[in-house]
Amino acid sequence: MPPYQGGGDMISFVTFEKTHYNTLPYKFEAGTPNIAGVIGLGAAIDYVSAVGLERISKYEQELLEYASRKLSEIEDVRFIGTAKEKACIISFIFGDIHAHDVGTVLDREGIAIRTGHHCAMPVMERFGVPATARASLAFYNTKEEIDTLAEALKNVKKVFGR
Amino acid sequence: MSDLRDLYQEVILEHNNKPRNFRVLADANRKQEGFNPLCGDRIQLYLRVENGQIKDIGFQGSGCAISKASASLMTSTVKGKSEAEAVEIFEKVHGMLAGQTEHCGDLESMGRLGALSGVCEFPARVKCASLAWHTLKSALENKDGVTSTE
Repeated sequence: MPPYQGGGDMISFVTFEKTHYNTLPYKFEAGTPNIAGVIGLGAAIDYVSAVGLERISKYEQELLEYASRKLSEIEDVRFIGTAKEKACIISFIFGDIHAHDVGTVLDREGIAIRTGHHCAMPVMERFGVPATARASLAFYNTKEEIDTLAEALKNVKKVFGR
Repeated sequence: MSDLRDLYQEVILEHNNKPRNFRVLADANRKQEGFNPLCGDRIQLYLRVENGQIKDIGFQGSGCAISKASASLMTSTVKGKSEAEAVEIFEKVHGMLAGQTEHCGDLESMGRLGALSGVCEFPARVKCASLAWHTLKSALENKDGVTSTE
């Protein structure tokens, strides 16, 4: 298969007559490799391994259970996606308050969530919602932060007089 | 940092709760759809334009409070105006949303549209507010198809 890009280590040697490509995978990896990215990935793997994947998973499940319980206590919060063994994220809609408005108010309280159709328009159609708000939790989040989120959601209601 | 109340002013909240002209015009002679693909806000705009005057206007759609209130304010402002006047108002609002100071500093002449002035401090929300206005402009220019804010 001929390479679609040239340059860097994808060359073995070049003469006037012929270009000899390097062996695989170098032949298809033209140009300067993503050196910073590789080093960063290595550091991330070291970090996650040091903490321990099982510990992370266990803690995230605890966070998810806690957040699900906390947020379900707030009137008008409806979860989208409640699979038994889902990742540590919570997608929800909040009464008739649009996700973007939820996001802006939370942002002002220092809470970053994602809002919108999450590049998954057909799923929005399936659930009959224009957009969802989504809190993505990870092992560096705490239960206190979930409490802050729950309080901030109550403030969202106040802003919109609900 | 701007206060939330600069964005969600009373006028905005009120128009979000009770949008004006939120209806389909059965006798519309111009229709235009506006869509913001990034956030999913949608608007269908209906106009009845006779002899260069916007006799009636209505909209439908789904979106956030800002986009809905902006559409409501837009329709109630341009109803009864000439097409040329509507384009003039569009230019003013467009400047205000873009945070151009000559417009931001001229709020008094904007009347209740001044309620949209806080949006320019929230860059992520400018497109929510401008969608209805861009859709109006396309409708006045009689452009076919979907107007996008992208």
